[in-house]
Amino acid sequence: MTRDPVNTVEHRGLLADSVADFAARGTDIARVRKLRGSAVEYDRAIWKQMAELGWLGILVPEQYGGLGLGLTEMAIVARGLARGLAPEPLAATAVLSATALIAAENEALKREQLPRLVSGQMLPALAWQEAAGALDPAAVRCTAVAFEGGYKLSGTKRFISGSGQADAFLVTALAGNEVVLLWLPRATAGAQLKLESLADGRSFGALKLDDALVPRAGVAATGPAAVSALALAFDHATAIAGAELVGVMERALEMSLDYLKTRVQFGKPIGAFQALQHRAVDLHIHKEVANATLEEVLGLLDRGPDAAARAALASRVKARCADAALKITREAIQLHGAIGFTDEYDAGLYLKRALTLAAWLGHPTWHRRRYAQLTTGLKAGITAGVMA
Amino acid sequence: MSPATADRDYNAMGDENFRREIRAFFEAEYPPHLRYILHRTRWHEMKDWWRKLADRGWIAPNWPREWGGMALDAGKMVIYLEELERHGVARAPDQGITQVGPLIMRFGSEAQKENYLPRTRSGEYIWCQGYSEPNAGSDLAGLQTAAVLEGDHFVVNGQKIWTTLADDATHIYLLARTDKAAKKQQGISFFLVDLKTPGITLRPIRNLAGHDEFCQVFFDNARVPRETLIGALNDGWTVAKALLGFERLGIGSPRRPQYALRRLEMVAQAKGLFGDAGFVDRFIALKLDIEDGAALYGRFVEQVKRGEPLGQDVSMLKIWTMETWQRLTELLIEAGAEEGVIAGVRDIAGVETDFLNPFYYSRPATIYGGSSEIQRNIIAKYVLKLPS
Repeated sequence: MTRDPVNTVEHRGLLADSVADFAARGTDIARVRKLRGSAVEYDRAIWKQMAELGWLGILVPEQYGGLGLGLTEMAIVARGLARGLAPEPLAATAVLSATALIAAENEALKREQLPRLVSGQMLPALAWQEAAGALDPAAVRCTAVAFEGGYKLSGTKRFISGSGQADAFLVTALAGNEVVLLWLPRATAGAQLKLESLADGRSFGALKLDDALVPRAGVAATGPAAVSALALAFDHATAIAGAELVGVMERALEMSLDYLKTRVQFGKPIGAFQALQHRAVDLHIHKEVANATLEEVLGLLDRGPDAAARAALASRVKARCADAALKITREAIQLHGAIGFTDEYDAGLYLKRALTLAAWLGHPTWHRRRYAQLTTGLKAGITAGVMA
Repeated sequence: MSPATADRDYNAMGDENFRREIRAFFEAEYPPHLRYILHRTRWHEMKDWWRKLADRGWIAPNWPREWGGMALDAGKMVIYLEELERHGVARAPDQGITQVGPLIMRFGSEAQKENYLPRTRSGEYIWCQGYSEPNAGSDLAGLQTAAVLEGDHFVVNGQKIWTTLADDATHIYLLARTDKAAKKQQGISFFLVDLKTPGITLRPIRNLAGHDEFCQVFFDNARVPRETLIGALNDGWTVAKALLGFERLGIGSPRRPQYALRRLEMVAQAKGLFGDAGFVDRFIALKLDIEDGAALYGRFVEQVKRGEPLGQDVSMLKIWTMETWQRLTELLIEAGAEEGVIAGVRDIAGVETDFLNPFYYSRPATIYGGSSEIQRNIIAKYVLKLPS
């Protein structure tokens, strides 16, 4: 797709408008409260509406039914939806899973599944992690044993985001010494999913595999191609998680500022007290730095840097946005006082969302260490388990 | 001014050609021993460089061509400043160019322009700022130095303090109270005073670094000619306020922390500190604070390039940049361990480093130019619109 600058600006404006319209329904937080902790993680009907708006196909090339746009556009949607805490797994499905599949090698599989992902009929979840905190896509222990042209899968994948109503999994496993990325329909015999409830009411899936069969047609990628597809998916989803964190912190700070202006104690709005003013200003500055970082990083990522530069950029934005969002949402509770500690008040939902997003795809310290390794010529070892 | 450069329209040049030309000049002509220096330069160190720039017609990038300036537009101005920073060019005592010149052009009479502008440009007049007083710091409008009109002269009594490099200066631009009955801001006038005037004495003040960086300036019945009043009588506050704006961007530039980071990185490498996970965590967090702060700086620069005025939100840049700089200098001292507190320049495995000076010189950065607390007050009031 050719993208002249005028068109691009116009496109982004329209996109931002449609996200704002969507969020203006104002029903997302009520849905979050209704769905939290249940086996139903998100609303399939809402997911279809998102598909109709074209959002699920933002990153998918046109030949597979998508829009072929960039991370900047995806970030507009992710950030806007995150302001209302919409529980649909946009980053997990339309970024993490979609990118892994787009970068995979199996052309027939891509032609079959990507248009279905774009239309909202097919929700694949990427099942690549096993041990907590181990984020190297090549550090795999699940096994794929060759069997009649396909594979038999065994082991346990964990921390699978967006898996509650997933229709299929993209699973990594070791075939001999080689990492393979395999397409596994949910209903496959020998595959059993359990959900673990998260702070924010969503779930991580744990997928237990016991000789689950994947035919040859389900082999998405093998060897270095599989690993590089996963690394790309990881980095892009990490950056979009940064955009979601910005949406979360923006809304949490707005709520806090509104409260400071309206809550009266000692005969005046508490926002007139300098101690609280200065805290609010610091939060505002953290938000603005995160915002500027996000904008700069997305612009650079959309130019298609090499793998090392891309990884450093993704880490930079995740570290910044996660720390800022955690700080702002924690302080939102403090600035609200006791009401902030109630379940009924929404401030806590933002804190819990920030907690979950910060932990997903690597916490800030992990990302800073990876950034250090990638940008200062540090030797590995100090940052055990960090992929470069 | 050399005839060859007097009439050039720099704004008509392409950005890259302009950048290349000034870069080549800085590289060829700027004294190498003054690159990236850590202390505040004195006039005797900088006067040769001043003359070179003045001869070339480049000493006053912000001035119009009729007064021998380069008349750069905002975009070219940013390039000029970027190249100064890139080459590590130290700041000369340039308040005459950045502050006084523009003021005289805006508020001065023709006679004042003819008198002051050419001499300021040539370096014959060196200016220092007479604003703060012992009892008027952050609350500048509370100043008490009085100027009373007697015939053709104002008789000035009082004292100014924290007057940077007054002992290098020939002139002082002075705020003094001319109407004691008026409310705070309204009874103040702005004067351009020759420091040789009888009744003016200087007392240098030694700073924490052991340098005589600033002075106390005493006025004891100093009779200054009526023509030294600039702007209307009792309207000096308006004159002083006109100086805000573009220079507030300069004060938030990431240049200082970037220099300090480079130094810290060299020391850390020389001392093998990158093998220490605790050090790496702190180092990389600071490095990212600088890079992400630079992204924020870049946003304001783009705003200036588009010709838009800067709002009060630019205050956040100074807070972020200066506080980051301070934390870096703290880590530098820690990196030096016992050697970090030995005075003077140390040789650390071939890297010449003064550990203490950056620490000392970063202390007042959160005090001068509007303390961090005043900047937070400004953001709370004008950006966050918190009540008072």
